[in-house]
Amino acid sequence: MPPESEKQGTEAPIPTGTGALDAGLGIESDGARVVEAEAGDGRQAGGPWRIAGRRLRRNKVALFSLAIFFLIVICCLLAPVWANHVADTGPNTTHTLEKLHVNGEVREVVEPSGKAIGPQWFEAGGKFFLGADGHLGRDEMVRLLYGGRSSLFIGIVAALITTLLAVTLGLLSGYYGGLTDTFISRIMDVIWSFPVVLLGIALGIALAVGGLKLGPIHLKSSSLWIPTLIIGVVYTPYMARPLRGEILALREKEFIEAAVAQGASDRRIMFIELLPNLLSTIIVFFTLNIANNMLLEATLSYLGAGVQPPSSSWGTMISEGFDALYSQPILTIIPGTAILLTVLSVNVFGDGLRDALDPKSKVRFEARAGTAAEMDNPV
Amino acid sequence: MKKLPFFLLVAALAAVLAVGLAACGGGSSTTGTSPSTSEGGSEGGGEAEGGGKEGGTLKGAYTSFPDYMDPQISYTAEGWTAMRPVYVPLLTYKAASEEEGAEIIPGLAKELPKVTNGGKTYTMFLREGLKYSNGEPIKAGDFKYAVERCFLTNSGGSPFYTDIVGAEQFSKTKKGGISGIKVNEKTGEIVINLEKPRGTFPNELALMFVAPIPQKTPAEDQSAHPIPASGPYYLTKSEPGRGWEYERNPYWAKDNGKQMTEIPSGHVDKIEIEVLRNQSTQVNDVESGKLNWIFDPPPTDRYQEVKEKFEGTQFRIEPTISTYYFWMNETQEPFNNQKVREAVNYAVDPAALERVYTGQIKGTQQILPPGMPGYEKIELFPHDVKKAKELIAESGVKDKEVTVWTDSESPNNDAGTYYQGVLNEIGLKAELKILNPDNYFTVIGNRSTPNLDTGFSDWFEDYPHPNDFFDILLNGESIQDTNNQNFSQTNVPALNEKIDKLAEEQLGPQQEKEYAELDKAFMEHAAWAPYGTRTLSLFVSENINLETAIWNPTFETELTSLEFKE
Repeated sequence: MPPESEKQGTEAPIPTGTGALDAGLGIESDGARVVEAEAGDGRQAGGPWRIAGRRLRRNKVALFSLAIFFLIVICCLLAPVWANHVADTGPNTTHTLEKLHVNGEVREVVEPSGKAIGPQWFEAGGKFFLGADGHLGRDEMVRLLYGGRSSLFIGIVAALITTLLAVTLGLLSGYYGGLTDTFISRIMDVIWSFPVVLLGIALGIALAVGGLKLGPIHLKSSSLWIPTLIIGVVYTPYMARPLRGEILALREKEFIEAAVAQGASDRRIMFIELLPNLLSTIIVFFTLNIANNMLLEATLSYLGAGVQPPSSSWGTMISEGFDALYSQPILTIIPGTAILLTVLSVNVFGDGLRDALDPKSKVRFEARAGTAAEMDNPV
Repeated sequence: MKKLPFFLLVAALAAVLAVGLAACGGGSSTTGTSPSTSEGGSEGGGEAEGGGKEGGTLKGAYTSFPDYMDPQISYTAEGWTAMRPVYVPLLTYKAASEEEGAEIIPGLAKELPKVTNGGKTYTMFLREGLKYSNGEPIKAGDFKYAVERCFLTNSGGSPFYTDIVGAEQFSKTKKGGISGIKVNEKTGEIVINLEKPRGTFPNELALMFVAPIPQKTPAEDQSAHPIPASGPYYLTKSEPGRGWEYERNPYWAKDNGKQMTEIPSGHVDKIEIEVLRNQSTQVNDVESGKLNWIFDPPPTDRYQEVKEKFEGTQFRIEPTISTYYFWMNETQEPFNNQKVREAVNYAVDPAALERVYTGQIKGTQQILPPGMPGYEKIELFPHDVKKAKELIAESGVKDKEVTVWTDSESPNNDAGTYYQGVLNEIGLKAELKILNPDNYFTVIGNRSTPNLDTGFSDWFEDYPHPNDFFDILLNGESIQDTNNQNFSQTNVPALNEKIDKLAEEQLGPQQEKEYAELDKAFMEHAAWAPYGTRTLSLFVSENINLETAIWNPTFETELTSLEFKE
C-alpha cells in the first residue's frame, strides 16, 4: 500500500494537472475558455488533447501528409513481397552478366560498357521495374524498397533513442538543477559544440572498421544499429536543451509546489507531474526528428559513414547513383525523391501537429477557418 | 639608301634563322621561345616536329594533389608523372611508349653502369658541366645524398636500396652516411657496392627516388618548397592541395640538354596544373579547351561517351602494367585451405568484373600482367561456379564467416560488392568492409587489423621487371607487421627461394622463362584471385597533338611530349 502522501499525490495533480497540461500546451489560463468556446459552437467539448485532435483532423494537408507517410511505410514493409514474388531477386543480388527477355527481345542488364538497363516498368513482369543500379546490375526497385526500410528504421528508431535520452536528461537536469544540471548541460554542450554532420562522420568512420563493443553488446560494423545509435545520440542535445528549459519554467509552477508540499517523490513529480506537460513538445520534436534523422542518415550514408554497403538505404543509393549522375540521373533522382517525399510528409504532418497542439497557432488556424469569434468575444 | 638594304638583309636573315630554329625544335633543342600566357592554354612560338608548335602554356588538372612533390618521397603515379620532367636520375627510362619506354638509358650518368665483382659493384660517371635550375653545379655527391635522403625521410622507396653496403645500418642510425657509395667529385665517378647481386638494381637506379638533388636540401618533405631541377623544366610554384607550375629550366638548354639528347626538352614554355576534384568538370573543361590535358581518366560515368566522341582525335586508351586481384589471407581459416582459394578463383569471373570496371580492365587470371617481361598467358581457373561450390563443400568450410575488404573508390567498391556476392554464392558468409582509399592500404597492411580475410588490391609496376610483382607481393620474407604489401601473407619457402635466386640475376630470356614458371606456380598455389589488368587513357584538348603524345609504361603521360597543334 502506498504511503498516504503518495495517495494524496495521485489525486492532487488532477485539478492542478489540467492547468499544467494547458501550460504544457501553452494555453494555461485560456484552456477553460477554449473548451467552453468550442462547446458553444455546438461541437463536442473536451480536454486540450481532444481539441488538438479536432484541430488536427481539420488540417487536411497534415492528414494528407500522414497518409503519404503511411503509404511509404507500407510499401517499404512489403519489400520482401515485391522482391520474392515480382522481381524475383534480392536487394544485394548482382546480375552483371545476365540478360533480360523483354517482348522477345534480349536486353543485357549491364552493357559491356558498364551501363545498366533503364526502367522496364512492367515490360519484364516487374523485374527491373526501375532499372538496374549501375555496374552490378542490382534491381533498383528492390533496393529502393529495402533501402526505405533501412532509412525509416533509422529515422524512427533514432528519434525514439533521442527522445528517450533527451527526456531523461532534460528531466534530471531541469528538475534537480545544481550540479546535476551543470554536469548534464556541459556534456550536452560538448556534443552540441560539434557540427552534427562532422560528429556523425567521425563516429561513423571510427566504428566502420571494428564495429561497436560496449560490454556484452557487440555490433558489427555493417549493423544498422550503428548509424541509428550515432544519429540518436548526436541529436540528443537539440531536444534535451529545450526540454530542460521548459522544465525549469514548469518546476516553478504552483502545481509542482503543491505536489512537493504533498510529499510527492522526485520520481513521481518528474514522471507524473512534469512529463505529461511536456508531451506536446515531445510529440512535435519526435515527428520533426524523424525527418531530420532520415536526412542525416542520407548524408552520412552518402559520405560512407552511415549504412554500410552492400546494404541499401536511400542515402547509399544516392551515393551509388552519383557515380552515374551524368549517364543515368534516375539512379539518384529516385532515392532522392523518396527522401523528399518522406521527409516532406513527416515535416508537414509535424507542423500540423504543432499547430494543433499550440493555441497560438490555433488562433491562426481558427481565424483561417472563420471561427475567430472566441477571440473577439472572450467568455 | 645603303642603310636600308643592309637593314632589310639583316631582318631577312633573322627571320630565316628564327624559322629554321623553330623548325628544328621538337625533340631535343628548344631555346629562346619566350613564354606567353593567356586564358585556357595559350599557344605561341614556333613549329615543332610533327606539325606541332613550340611554346605556349599547357594547362592540366589532377583530381588530387600527388602524395608528395619531392622526388625522394613520392611513390605514386601522380607524383612520378608530375616530377618526370623535373628530376633526372643517373639512369632513366626512355621517353617512349610500350616496350621502348621500358628501356633504361643514361640520365645524368655518362653511360650505363659498368657492373663488376659478380654483379655487386656498379660504376658510373656523372656527366660534366651539369647544372641545377638555380645555377648550382650538379655533383656526384648529390646522388649519394639522394640515396641517404631516401632513408632519412623514411621513403617508401628506401627498401629498394637496402642491399647497398652500409644502407641497412644507415637506415637504423641515420648517421655516418652509406659506406657502400663512393664518389669522386673531381672525376664524377660514382661506385656503388652491394651486399649481394641484385638483378633489378639498374631499374631501381632509374627511379625518381635516387634522382640527385642539392645536398643542402632539408631531409624533410619539400612539396611546398620545390627543389631545384636537373631536368628540362623546373617547378616555379607548388601549393599542396591546389596545384603547381613549371617553366623551362634555363640551364637545360645551355648545359644539361646538350648532353642528354635522349631526354626530350619539351614543347611548351609553361605548364600549369590545378587540382580539380570533380572529374566530370575536368572532362567538360578539356572539351571546351579550358584545360589541355587531364591526368586521371574520365569518370566511369562519362568514359564511354568520351571514348565514342573523341577516340583517335583527343582520346586514346593506354595499357598499364598492372594486376587487379583479390588476396586471400593464407594464414587463417578458411583461406589457409587451398581448395577454398581454388574455389574462389573458379567463382570470380573476370568477364563480369570487366563490366564492373566499365571496360577499363582486361580480364586476366595470373600474377604477371601483359607487357611485363616473363608474361605468358595462363588460365588455370576457367569460370565455373558449380566446381567452386563443390570445392567449398569438400573443404568443409561452408557458412564460414569472412570479411571482404575494399576501398570506396569507384569501381573498386563495386568490385568488392561483387566479390562479396560471389563468396556468399559459393557458400561462405561474407561481410563487406569499405574503407576510405586514403587509409585503405595502411589498414590492410597492418597485420594486427582484425578479420583480415580477403579483399581487393592492385599493383602497378614500379619498373618493368617481373621481380617487382613477386618479391614485395608474394615473397614470404617480405611480410611485415605494418606497411605489409604481401596481403595474402603467402609464404611458400620453395617459391621464396626461387624469387631470391632470380632477384640476383640480370634479366634475360632464361630468367623471363623462369618468371613465367613462377607465375604459374603461384597460380597453382592459388595465392590470389587475379581478375584483370587496367587500361588508362590519355585525354587532351582539341588543340593538343595527340599523335605525338607519349604514354610511358612507368611514368604514364610524358608531359614533355605534349605540344600544341599548328
